[in-house]
Amino acid sequence: MGEHDLTALMAAQLDRHLVFPLLEFLQERQLYKDEEILEAKIRLLNGTNMVDYAMDIHKSLHGTEDVPADMVSRRAEVVARLRSLEEAAAPLVSFLQNPQLVQELRPDKQYNIHMLQERFQIGPDQIDALYHFAKFQFECGNYSGAADYLYQYRALCTNSDRSVSALWGKLAAEILMQNWDVALEELNRLKEIIDSKNFSSPLNQLQNRIWLMHWSLFIFFNHENGRNGIIDLFFQDRYLNAIQTNAHHLLRYLATAVVVNKRRRNMLRELIKVIQQEQHCYKDPITEFLECLYVNYDFDGAQKKLMECEQVILNDPFLGKRIQEGNFITVPLRDEFLENARLLIFETYCRIHRCIDIGMLSEKLNMSYDEAELWIMNLVKSSKLDARIDSVSGTLIMTTNHVNVHEQIIESLKNLNARTYMLGKNIVEPAQAAQQAAR
Amino acid sequence: MASRFWTQGDSESEEEEEEVESEQGSDSDNGGGETGGRTVPQNRYLNNEDDSDESDTGHRVVRSLRDKRNEEMKSTVDQMRNAMKINDWVSLQESFEKLNKHLEKVVRVNESTKLPNMYIKALVLLEDFLAEALANKEAKKKMSSSNAKALNVMKQKLKKNNKQYEDLIQECREHPERFEDDDADGKDMDEEDEDSDAEIEDPEKIAMSESEEDDDDEDKDEDGPWEKKLSKKDKLMDKQLLKDPSEITWDIVDKKLKEIVASRGKKGTGRIERVEQLTFLTRVAKTPAQKLEILFHVISAQFDVNPSLLGHMPVNVWKKCVNNMLLVLDILQQYPNIVVDNSGEPDEKETQRGADYNGTIHVTGDLVAFLERLDSEFFKTLQCTDPYTKDYVQRLREEPLFLVVAQNVQDYLERVGNLKAAAKVALRRVELVYYKPQEVYDAMRKLAEQTEDSGENGDAEAGDEYQLADDNRGPPPFVVIPEVVPRKPTFPESIRSLMDGLMSLIYKYGDERTKARAMLCDIYHHAISDEFSVARDLLLMSHLQDGVQLMDISSQILFNRVMAQLGLCAFRAGLINEAHGCLTELYSTGRVKELLAQGVQQSRYHEKTPEQERLERRRQMPYHMHINLELLEATHLICAMLIEVPNMAASTYDKRRPMSKTFRRLLEVSERQTFVGPPENVRDHVMAATRALNKGDYQKAFNVINSLEIWKLLRNKEHVLEMLKLKIKEEALRTYLFAYSSCYESLSLNQLTTMFDLSEQHAHSIVSKMMMHEELHASWDQPTKCIIFHSVDQTRLQGLLFQMADKLSVLVESNERAYEARTGGTLEGVPPRRRGDGQDSSNMGRWQENFVSSQGRQGGNRFGYAGRGGGSGQGGGYQKDRGGQGSRGGYGGGSRFQDGRSRTQSGSSARGDGGARMVSLNRAGRV
Repeated sequence: MGEHDLTALMAAQLDRHLVFPLLEFLQERQLYKDEEILEAKIRLLNGTNMVDYAMDIHKSLHGTEDVPADMVSRRAEVVARLRSLEEAAAPLVSFLQNPQLVQELRPDKQYNIHMLQERFQIGPDQIDALYHFAKFQFECGNYSGAADYLYQYRALCTNSDRSVSALWGKLAAEILMQNWDVALEELNRLKEIIDSKNFSSPLNQLQNRIWLMHWSLFIFFNHENGRNGIIDLFFQDRYLNAIQTNAHHLLRYLATAVVVNKRRRNMLRELIKVIQQEQHCYKDPITEFLECLYVNYDFDGAQKKLMECEQVILNDPFLGKRIQEGNFITVPLRDEFLENARLLIFETYCRIHRCIDIGMLSEKLNMSYDEAELWIMNLVKSSKLDARIDSVSGTLIMTTNHVNVHEQIIESLKNLNARTYMLGKNIVEPAQAAQQAAR
Repeated sequence: MASRFWTQGDSESEEEEEEVESEQGSDSDNGGGETGGRTVPQNRYLNNEDDSDESDTGHRVVRSLRDKRNEEMKSTVDQMRNAMKINDWVSLQESFEKLNKHLEKVVRVNESTKLPNMYIKALVLLEDFLAEALANKEAKKKMSSSNAKALNVMKQKLKKNNKQYEDLIQECREHPERFEDDDADGKDMDEEDEDSDAEIEDPEKIAMSESEEDDDDEDKDEDGPWEKKLSKKDKLMDKQLLKDPSEITWDIVDKKLKEIVASRGKKGTGRIERVEQLTFLTRVAKTPAQKLEILFHVISAQFDVNPSLLGHMPVNVWKKCVNNMLLVLDILQQYPNIVVDNSGEPDEKETQRGADYNGTIHVTGDLVAFLERLDSEFFKTLQCTDPYTKDYVQRLREEPLFLVVAQNVQDYLERVGNLKAAAKVALRRVELVYYKPQEVYDAMRKLAEQTEDSGENGDAEAGDEYQLADDNRGPPPFVVIPEVVPRKPTFPESIRSLMDGLMSLIYKYGDERTKARAMLCDIYHHAISDEFSVARDLLLMSHLQDGVQLMDISSQILFNRVMAQLGLCAFRAGLINEAHGCLTELYSTGRVKELLAQGVQQSRYHEKTPEQERLERRRQMPYHMHINLELLEATHLICAMLIEVPNMAASTYDKRRPMSKTFRRLLEVSERQTFVGPPENVRDHVMAATRALNKGDYQKAFNVINSLEIWKLLRNKEHVLEMLKLKIKEEALRTYLFAYSSCYESLSLNQLTTMFDLSEQHAHSIVSKMMMHEELHASWDQPTKCIIFHSVDQTRLQGLLFQMADKLSVLVESNERAYEARTGGTLEGVPPRRRGDGQDSSNMGRWQENFVSSQGRQGGNRFGYAGRGGGSGQGGGYQKDRGGQGSRGGYGGGSRFQDGRSRTQSGSSARGDGGARMVSLNRAGRV
C-alpha cells in the first residue's frame, strides 16, 4: 500500500527533526516493516544529537542491551560539546534569564548591543555563541529551549543570514512543539523575508519557497484556519510555479484542501489546469479524481478514484490525522473529503442532466434510496439544488433555466455601460482637477 | 623635427646632430668609423630596438643593398631623360611606371618613409616637360596616335601621382639645390629624415627587414623580383636541409617558417604548395613545441586552400587537416607543459626549448577556432554535394572522424581547465548528433566501430602516400610523436546519455549563445524521441521564444526546426491543439522552406537579389537533416482540420474567429473548384477529408487521410493512425452535433455510438463536455440515456444584437487599452483581463537568466548540482541538516522561471486559446 506514499519525497525537503513525525505515523500505519522504519530512524538520529534516543531505538531494534561503541563515544562528544557551548553562551544566557535585566532591552538593536557591551561585556562573540547553543539545543531535541534562545538571538543579531537561519530554526521548533499559532506567525514572517529578500540566485529563492511550503504543511493541516491558509499560500503565482517546477507532489495537498474547502470552489478551475499540465509528472488518486470529474466527465471513473482516495488520505501523515473521540478514532479530513467529493460529483452530474433516476443516484452516492431522497430533499430545501423529485417514477427532475436571450443581451451591454462609465470618470476627473487647479 | 630641419641650413643641422650625439653620450658605441651624420640616427634607431650588437654587420649590408637600389633608380631616371629628349611618351610612360616600382623598393630598403630626392626631382622634371608638351599644341598634333595617347595617360597619371608628393615638389621647386643629385649628400639627407621617422616605425617591419638581411648572407642572387626569389630560395633551402639533416638548427627552421608564413596571401604562392612546404617543415622541426607551432600554420594553410566562401575545402585536404589536428592533440597530450593560447604575444624563442624542458611553453593558436572551422567545412561539403549521389553518403560516413577530433579537443580543453572553450566544442558535437533518433545514432555507432579497421587501412594508405611524398623529400621526422590520442570515437549506448553529458557541460560553462543553441538542440532531441512534455517545459522555461527574434539567423532556423519537430511530436502524442499551435506559425507565411532552410522558395512577388540568394544558400540545411515537408504539411493541415471543422459547424450559433486562417483559405480555394478530382497531393487529401468530415462521415475522412503515402515515415505508424482515427471520430461527433442539433428534439446515446463507432462512455464524456462548456444547449435524460435539446434559437434581430454587443465590447476594450497606454496605469475597478497580466511587465526576464531555472526543472539526475550548491551555501543554519535520510538528490529550479509558468498555465488548457499562445513564434501584440 506504499505506492502513494510521499514520505521519501517529502523528507528531502524537511528538517531531520521534522521527518520524525512522519516516520512515527508510518510506524503506526504499519505500511512498512517495523525494522525498516526503526533503521531509518536510527539513520535519521545519527545526524542529530539525540544519541540517547538513538540508543533506545537501537536496543529495541536488535533486542539487545548492547550499544555500538560509536554511539557511546558520540554521546560523550555531544555532552562535551554541549558543555563548551553552554559555557560560551553562559553570560548572555544568565543575562536573559534575569527578567529585570531583560526589561532594559529596547526595540533598538544598536542600543541593545551597545548596552550589552558596555555593561555586561557581552560582545558579538557571546551572541554568536547563543546561536550555536540554541542550534545545539535543537539538535538535542530540546525544542522549547531552542525556540526561546532563538527568539532572543533574533532580537540581538545583526547578521541577516543568521537571522533567517534562526527563524527557520524557530519555525521548526514551534512546529515540533505543536504551537501552531506561533508557528503560523513565524511562517508568515519567513515568507515575507523570502519574498522580499534579494536572493543571490533565483534557484536559491525557489528552494526556499519549496522548503517553506513543505514545512507549512504541518501547520496548515493542524491549524484551525489552515485550510484557507494553504490555498492562499499555494495559489500565489510564485508558489504555484515552485510547485510546478520542483514539488509536484504538493499538488495532492492543494487538491485536498480545495476539495474540502467549500468556500474556495472558484479555485477549482485553476487547480485543474495545473493538474492537467503536470499530469505527466505527478499523478495520484486525488488529482486523478478531479481530472476524471472535471476533464473527462467520467463519473464512474471518478467514483472509483474516490475509493482509492480514501486509502491515500488514511495513509498520508498530514491528511490522515486521527482524532480520538471517546472510543472512536476518526479521521476528520477523510470524512470531510468524501462528503465534499460526493457533493462535487453530484453537482456536476446534475448540471448536465435533466432527469436522474434516484435509485441509480443512491447507488452512486453509497446510500440507501430513502437516505438519498432525504439528502436530495435537504439540498433542494436549502436551495442548493434547483430540482423537483418525481416520486412516482422515482426520478429527480432538474428545472432547466435558460437565461433569456433578452437578458443575455442586456447583461452583456450592462457590463459595457459600467466599463465605459469608469473610463469616462477616469478621464474626466483628472481633467476637472487640473482645471480647478488652474483657476 | 623634420620641418625644423628643412627650414634650417645644412650646416646647422650638422651641428645639431652633434649635439644629439653628445647627449646620447655613452649609449652610442659604434660612433667610431662612421661619419657622425649617418651614425646618429642609425644609432638611435638601434637603441630603440635594444639590439645594437647586430647593427655593425647589418648596417653594412643595408648600405650595399641600398646603393644597388638607388643605382637602379638613377638609371631609370636617366632613361626618362633620354625619352624626354626625343619626345617619346610611350617609353616615358614605361619608365615612369618602372620608377614608381623602384620607388617602393628603395623606400623599403632605405627603411624610411621619406622619398628619395632623385624621385622627386624626376617628378619635377616630368611635370615641367609635360606642361611644356601640353602647351605646345602644334607639336601635340604632330604626334603619332600612340604617342599622343601615352601623353594623355601620362598626364592623368602624373597628376594623380604628384598629388601625394605635392609638398615635396613645391619644396624642390623652391630649393632645387637641396635635391642635388649628389649621392652621398642625398643619402645624408635621407638619413636625417629617418631620424625623425625611425621612432614611429613598425617593429614588425624591422623584424622583417632583419630577416631579409640574414637571407642576404646566405644567397646572393637577390636581383630578381621578390616573389620569384622566394620560391627559388625555397628550393635552395630544401636542398640545404636535405644535404645535412644533422646541421639543421632550430633557427633555420624558424626562419623558414617565418618566411613561408610571410608569403601568405602574396601573389604567386600556390596555396597547396604552401601547405606542402609547411608540412615538410613539420618533419624537420627540432622541438615538439616548434612542431606544434608549424602544425598550426599547416592547418590554417589548409583552411586557406579554398578561398571562396561558397565553395568548400577539398575532401582530401579536410581529411589531412583532421589528421593534423589529431597530431596536434598528440603533441599536447605528450607534452603537457606546452600550452596553447591566443592571448599574449609569446616569446619568440620559446619554442626553441626541447622536449626535456619542464617549464610551460606558450604556443599561439586556437584549437576551438580550428575545430569550428573544420566543422563548418564539413557542413559546407554536405551543403554543396548532391544528396542523391554516392559522394554524399561517403561524406556522411566521415562524420565519426570529426567527432573523434571534437571529442579529443574537448577532453584536452577539459583537462587544461578551459571549460568555456570546451563548452563551445561540446556544442559542435551536440549539433552533429541532436537530430538523430536513436536508430540513426546506433547505425552511426556501428559504422564507427566497423570502419575502424577499414577506415584505419584507408587512413594508413593515405598516410603512406603522404609519407612517401615526404620521404622523397625529407629525412624521417625529427620529433616523433606517438599516437596518444584515441583515433576512434567512443559513443555511449544511448544518444540521450551523450546529449545529457554534453548539455550539462554547456549549461555550466557555455556563453549565452552556446547555451541557447544547446537548449534548442536539446528540445529538438526530446521532441524526436517523443517526449513532448519535457520538450515543451524546456522550451517554455528557457524563454527562448521571447529572445529568438534577436538571435542570429542560423539560431532562428534552428528554432523553427525545433518548433516543427515539436509540432510533429505533439501530433504523434495525440495533442492536436498543441501540434497546431506549434505549426501554424510556420505555415502562416507560406514560406516554410525558407523558414526551415530546406531549399529556396521562389517568391512570385518580389525578386531576391543574387546576394540574398547566395546568403540563403549558405544557410541551407544539409539533406540528411531535413524535416520531411510533406509530413509536416499533412500534420499541420490535419490538425487544422480537426480544430477548424467543428469550429465552423459551431459558428452557426455565433460568429467565431477562425482558428486557422491558412486552412480556411485553402478550403475556400478548394470549394471554388467546379469539379473535384481525386486527391493528388497532401492538400487535396486533407481537403477531401474535410468535406467528408463536414458531413460527419468519419469513415470516409479517415480513409482519405489513411491513403496518404507519408505515414510510412512514422516510426509507430499504427499507433498514430489509431489515434488519428479516434480523433476524427470525436470531431465528427462534435461536428454532427453542432450542425444538426437544431433538427433534433432528442437523440439517444445509443444512436450516437453506433453512428460514430465510439464507446458509450467516450461519447458520453464528449457530449458532457460540450454541455458543460455550453457549446451544446442540451442535457441528459439519465433513465433513457437520451440527449434532450433545448431550443435556444435566436431570431435574426437577436443575433445581430449579440454581434453589436461584441463589437461594442471590442471598442470599449480598445478604449481602455488606449487609456492605459496613455496613463500607464490600469483602470481601477476593471478586472484584469488576463491572469498574469500584472506580472508580465516585471517578469519579462531575459531568457538568458532562465537557463538556470530550466536546469533545476530537470531535477534529480542531470542538474542536481545546482540545487545542492544552493542549499549548502546557506551557511551553518538549520538548512544544512535538512534532507533527512538518504541523498537529497538535486532539486534546483529558478524562480525566474516561474514567470514563465504563469503563461504556461494557459498552455494546455482544455480547448480554446491554449496551445496557440504557448508556442507562438512572435508574441508581439499579444500578452
